[in-house]
Amino acid sequence: MAASVLKKVVIEKINEVAAVLMQKGTLIAPVKEEAGANFREIKDPKDIYLDYYNSILSPKMVFFPQMEDFVKYQLAKPKADAKIVEMNLKPAFLFGVRPCDVKSFEILDKHFYASGIIDTYWKARRDNTTIIGYAFDLDKPVDSADFYNTLGIGAADPEGSDIFIVKKDKELLLKGITKKGEALLGELSMLEKADAKDEKYFTDYVKKGKEKKTRFMKVDDKAVAKKYEDIFENNEYWTKMSDACLSCGVCTFVCPTCYCFDICDETIFGKGTRRRIWDACMFTDFTLETSGHNPRTKVSQRLRQKVCHKYSFSVRKYDVISCVGCGRCTRSCPVNIDIYSMVEEATKL
Amino acid sequence: MTNFKQIEENLKKEAKKLLEAGSVAVVLAYTKGADEKHPQPFAAKKADDVANIIFNEYCNHNLARYIVRYAPGTKIAVAVKAADSRAVVVLIQEEKIKRENLILLGIPVSGMKNQKTGEIIDEKTTGGLTNPVVYDVLLGEEIHTGKPVSPYTVLEQYEKMDKDARFAFWKAQFDKCIRCYACRKACPMCYCDPCFIDQTKPRWADKSPQSHGNLMYHLTRFQHLAGRCIDCGECTRACPVDIPLYLFHKKVAKDCEEMFKQAAGMKIEDKLVMVDFRVEDSDKILE
Amino acid sequence: MEFEPKILGIACNWCTYTGADLAGTTRLKYPQNLRVVRVMCSSRINPSFIFRAFQLGADGVLVGGCHPGDCHYNTGNLYARRRLAVTKKILDFAGLEPSRFRVEWISASEGNKFAEVVKEFTEHVQILGPQTKFKIAGVS
Repeated sequence: MAASVLKKVVIEKINEVAAVLMQKGTLIAPVKEEAGANFREIKDPKDIYLDYYNSILSPKMVFFPQMEDFVKYQLAKPKADAKIVEMNLKPAFLFGVRPCDVKSFEILDKHFYASGIIDTYWKARRDNTTIIGYAFDLDKPVDSADFYNTLGIGAADPEGSDIFIVKKDKELLLKGITKKGEALLGELSMLEKADAKDEKYFTDYVKKGKEKKTRFMKVDDKAVAKKYEDIFENNEYWTKMSDACLSCGVCTFVCPTCYCFDICDETIFGKGTRRRIWDACMFTDFTLETSGHNPRTKVSQRLRQKVCHKYSFSVRKYDVISCVGCGRCTRSCPVNIDIYSMVEEATKL
Repeated sequence: MTNFKQIEENLKKEAKKLLEAGSVAVVLAYTKGADEKHPQPFAAKKADDVANIIFNEYCNHNLARYIVRYAPGTKIAVAVKAADSRAVVVLIQEEKIKRENLILLGIPVSGMKNQKTGEIIDEKTTGGLTNPVVYDVLLGEEIHTGKPVSPYTVLEQYEKMDKDARFAFWKAQFDKCIRCYACRKACPMCYCDPCFIDQTKPRWADKSPQSHGNLMYHLTRFQHLAGRCIDCGECTRACPVDIPLYLFHKKVAKDCEEMFKQAAGMKIEDKLVMVDFRVEDSDKILE
Repeated sequence: MEFEPKILGIACNWCTYTGADLAGTTRLKYPQNLRVVRVMCSSRINPSFIFRAFQLGADGVLVGGCHPGDCHYNTGNLYARRRLAVTKKILDFAGLEPSRFRVEWISASEGNKFAEVVKEFTEHVQILGPQTKFKIAGVS
């Protein structure tokens, strides 16, 4: 690899870095909230919370917000009066994304534009954002719900980030991974130059990250996709899996690779907005048709849709499993349904 | 303190007996989730399934939630803790299930823990009870701690609050809502199909997660659960963003109890307060 | 300019609405801040109506029904009494001034009472000022 840029900064000074990034545009970083960390726009550098394991909601909401306004209109006025809601994007810096979540952006890219049909909203935000990845702290234990190893992701994989950070005692080492990232590092004057020791530390850290063990099973994309096609009508399996499922939307809303949305017109006193909001295949009305017919009335059918979409349909369509093993669904599930165990059980059938 | 191992053994024994005799089609209990600390509701349908049943201090889930899922007439055995048994009572009162189709395996417990925080939840969300109010088989010794706990003491600090502060508090809480509807899905009393929030004619509130829609959703849900909420706290534990819904439900339950002199789900013969009235109800309740 | 509150009135067909009619035919004066919606019975009022009214900009909501015991359908207002009592407690705990919501029993012959209640309630809401807590931003 060409001599790429490696810089360092003491952790206390991260506020200064943040202040510069906030001047340049929008800074989005983990913030401590009651239930845990979440990615939010930073108004005060002091809010940045680096001591987090992973966020409750996935960072996909930076590119694909839960609610996005498209058009504002007034009823009984001509169509021409309707106004498209401008995005007014400033350059954005997404700070502190864990390697597994960085991977999720790549997967969603396939859906939102690489498939040929371009979602302009996603793409505009994506192009506009510099991703600053942050390795998991290797000294801390892995959460029991995580299984990103299974999907071939390491705890300190820099791929996909523009800049990648690893923690070294009281310092952060920042490495430019892409041209965009290197350029940004060059503009941050408060960063110090790293020496050869730091270089070695960084390389070793990434290597060590690969050895950090989460839950692991051998999963072959094609084989697991085929498996789920085979057991699609295995009612016994699906009923067993879904006996506990409440069919709420937590797992899909916290998931970094779930992308279903609903476009709705919301009107108050004739003033309306056409917007998209997240929807979830776990909701009863997700598949409800105008006629009143609903092809997925049972919880087992809806859970099957979710799991098969991730582990089977996605492989067929985009050649990738739509799951990064971040463990959010397992952690947030009110009844502790674990997708890893489900897949494990399926492979044994 | 509850002997969880003992209860687990008894639960297994009873479940095995019932399933082998064929007197029930399903036993609703708990099994291991990703690990022991994360148990999962479990529907045992064969005698072989019984080996997977567990019971420990993290088995909070209210299994009454699953009863309405089975076809009417199905014989069901349910493991019920104090609050869960009250939920079953409300379901019987609402004629969602017949008493004769149920076998209630009562579990007296204290020392249940919230699996996310590890904190003991007894005094927060069990309505101050440790023993089920109705059961067919009791799987442990009744617990009498001696000191009756009022389920409503936690409310004091919120009732004392100034109105504006209280509004600010709830607004901040409801603004966090991501409308995943885990609260209504975890609730044993929320079985409407469709739920008012999913209706489009009329549309009661916007589906987008904004302040006003969230407020409408939650306030209406509190109203719908008035005199029915049995304080199991599942809504709050299910919430991924930690909205303390139990506080509001408790407050409504407290008001109902004060106004109508009856707590929800204590006796099967009771009539639900919201589908009942007294000519001598005072107009003071409207003041 | 003095604050002119917007007040939603929901009146039962048999008593309060007829009482309002009587107030009109006897040419009683009362503030014009009340907009009345007629329903067949006070028990037809879904509590969500009240939440929604406040969201859509009402400064006060006045519900009128028959006196307990006089309901055209015998018991409708007795159910409504319990239900709306709970609504009031919910508004209170949510932090809205509960006195912005009032339930009154006004019979068909009580035109006077109707006018008085409206006058008194309007003045009360006027003192409380505009209701902004529940109101959706941008609603006018």
